Amino acid sequence: MSSDVRFTDFKSDKQPTWCPGCGDFGTMNGMMKALANTGNDPDNTFVVAGIGCSGKIGTYMHSYALHGVHGRALPVGTGVKLANPDLEVMVAGGDGDGYSIGAGHFVHAVRRNVDLTYVVMDNRIYGLTKGQASPTSREDFETSTTPEGPQQPPVNPLALALASGATFIAQSFSSDALRHAEIIEQAIEHDGFGFVNVFSPCVTFNDVDTYDYFRDSLVDLKEADHDPHDYDDAKEKILEGDKEYMGVLWQDEESVPYHQTHGVTEDMTEIPDGAADGTMDLVREFY
Amino acid sequence: MAEDLNWAIGGEAGDGIDSTGKIFAQALSRAGRHVFTSKDFASRIRGGYTAYKIRTSTDQVQSVVDRLDILVALTQRTIDENLDELHDESAVIYDGERSWEAEYPDHITGVDVPLKSLAEEAGGAIMRNIVALGAACEITNFSIENLDEALEKRFGAKGEKIVENNKKAARLGQEYVAENYDLDVDYDIDETDNDYVLLNGDEAIGMGALAAGCRFYAGYPITPATDVMEYLTGRIDEFGGHVVQAEDELSAINLALGAARAGARSMTATSGPGIDLMTETFGLVATSETPLVIVDVMRSGPSTGMPTKQEQGDLNMTLYGGHGEIPRFVVAPTSIDECFWKTVEAFNYAEKYQTPVYLVADLALAVTEQTFPPETFDMDEVEVDRGKVVDDDTVDEWLDEEGRFRAHANTEDGVSPRAFPGTIDGAHMSTGLEHDELGRRTEDTDVRIEQVDKRNRKVDTARDQENWDYREFGNPDADNLVISWGSNEGAMVEAIDLLEDRGVDVRFLSVPYIFPRPDLTEDIEGAEKTIVVECNATGQFADLIEHDVLQRVDRINKYNGVRFKADELADDIEATLKTEAKAQ
Repeated sequence: MSSDVRFTDFKSDKQPTWCPGCGDFGTMNGMMKALANTGNDPDNTFVVAGIGCSGKIGTYMHSYALHGVHGRALPVGTGVKLANPDLEVMVAGGDGDGYSIGAGHFVHAVRRNVDLTYVVMDNRIYGLTKGQASPTSREDFETSTTPEGPQQPPVNPLALALASGATFIAQSFSSDALRHAEIIEQAIEHDGFGFVNVFSPCVTFNDVDTYDYFRDSLVDLKEADHDPHDYDDAKEKILEGDKEYMGVLWQDEESVPYHQTHGVTEDMTEIPDGAADGTMDLVREFY
Repeated sequence: MAEDLNWAIGGEAGDGIDSTGKIFAQALSRAGRHVFTSKDFASRIRGGYTAYKIRTSTDQVQSVVDRLDILVALTQRTIDENLDELHDESAVIYDGERSWEAEYPDHITGVDVPLKSLAEEAGGAIMRNIVALGAACEITNFSIENLDEALEKRFGAKGEKIVENNKKAARLGQEYVAENYDLDVDYDIDETDNDYVLLNGDEAIGMGALAAGCRFYAGYPITPATDVMEYLTGRIDEFGGHVVQAEDELSAINLALGAARAGARSMTATSGPGIDLMTETFGLVATSETPLVIVDVMRSGPSTGMPTKQEQGDLNMTLYGGHGEIPRFVVAPTSIDECFWKTVEAFNYAEKYQTPVYLVADLALAVTEQTFPPETFDMDEVEVDRGKVVDDDTVDEWLDEEGRFRAHANTEDGVSPRAFPGTIDGAHMSTGLEHDELGRRTEDTDVRIEQVDKRNRKVDTARDQENWDYREFGNPDADNLVISWGSNEGAMVEAIDLLEDRGVDVRFLSVPYIFPRPDLTEDIEGAEKTIVVECNATGQFADLIEHDVLQRVDRINKYNGVRFKADELADDIEATLKTEAKAQ
């Protein structure tokens, strides 16, 4: 592990095919900076990506990576981390991946509190399939499949995480490069499941949740005198609904990650070239 | 074969049928007798009808038969359900003080034992089943001391007092029968000096996984595969591994996939409905070239079907399931001891060829306990082959001119190098998208063909390098050929003896490899008549063989939810052999 790792070392030589101006550029840059700033390098980092525009991130980054099936990135990341706790595991996906097809996994990954970072690139739209409503789309957001809007309330991912027992809940904005990298860094350093919902605007299919909208409406918790260790305050801000925040909303200082609560600390990759010592005792158990 | 005894205890779910049966099975095993158990059970926690059946002999037993010699009946339904199997020499043990009047035909000997009262005398009504075991010992002249060790094993953790009470309950049952009955039924259960272990197929799969170095398991509870997870829980930790109970099977296979990407030997187990969900990720496992063992313990389908009943209906799904064309291995153990060895093999195939392996077992294997000499599971015989794994020193051989690791290098044998995450300079991408040697997405037509051919070539390589042979039984020169897969082997092996007594010679091939599989062309062309035996309605394996050999075969199919029995199978085969050969 060299200390001279630069964030560009996490960049692959593949040029992103995201639309010019896509929020995902900024989201990815912040992830790479945060990984480098926290002393990681591509050979000890595992990135798991879902499906959608966001899912392409594994291709544009340089690290160990798996680009999986739609919605199942969190279980993959969990498996990677438990099998080798020395790896830095970062799971990335979109709002459809995480809060729709993968919503069940989100709840249970949060509950497990495995020490990994989950970055959701939330653009409130299905971009890769060319503009359908996503689980975070506004109630009146008109799309090809919801001509009058979904007419159902959007998922509040922060509240879903809180209700599932999250130990770290943050929200970020891809265009605020400094703050975004800083927030991801905090998520990486958190002892447990570091969840960051990143507003990552779609410039092609979402003309409501735009850069301008977030610039105008986001309240930076850094400037709002917010104590992220105050659960009640976090709960209030997460549930109130009329404001959108940027920064760490909630961090449980007492968080004990899964590998500690379950005693999973060994690297599982090393095994003997025959049956391990003690396996004959397994046979004797059946007497 | 030495004379066998068929014993059963039956009642409602919640009556402690399973644990009582297991105690008797262990007592028989400790007395050096072979045991083969089966269960009639339903998917409910209480009520209904459930039974635990034991066939025991001083010789190896590997099938159930249509005969019941001693039945402990806690309900009238237990008698009714088994009427066809009870015969002139059968004895039924029941509690005449219970509210129901035991009704049974005159030719059966009823042994009325006040199970509840005697249990209360020993310390509690809960021990009434143990009283029945004592009564069974007396009827069979089986030394009651054999029960003691099994009772200690079962109740030891609950304290000396409980163990002593149970021993007393057993003796009260024994004495009651001795004092009140002079029975004509006369079954002497001989003992031997042999030591046997007693285990079921799920446990054998779990133990095989640990022997093979499996360190990560993720699963979702489902009958009849849950025993695999329960077996591994706790035990895998002793070897530095871990079990995760996932939120569903979609998660289970992805958890296992993640652990395998990290470099652990990893497994998941489920039954048909779980395979339905896991099929989503199956193509990703194969395309990303991740070694993974997926166990399907088949039960009766489709949909929820008959969840506690036997069927071999998932062959086509494991062979063809998933969109697109997915290279895979499908291995199907044919006996409980083979559940162990085929699991070990499955891990080696998975890692040597970086391909998913379906290990297909069935309910009859999973829930049946059978005795084996302990050396059947000789751990020194277990070999672990991790395939082409590179480390910090050897990774250089597989870097391209720009220093990038070629995780999907197009090699002659189709197998690429594998770098576990953490290997310096091994960082690479893998994906379910079509990709180049570096794992980067591509739609280049030449690269597509190259990578598809490469992945399929791994199977060709395996076909050449590994032994995909069948297991052969019976008369090798017989004109009549019987072929089966999965758990039917045990019943068929015993049916061979029965058929021989009737003057019918058969050659029997038991096939544990579904894909790749042995070429049976010469065997079938050399036979006068070929019969394929399987527990499904349509004959999925028979279809496969007909396709391979381009010749029609006869079929024996059973799909009522009950496994084949040796005597029944002998009858079916004799009848099929008498029919005219089908038009070719």
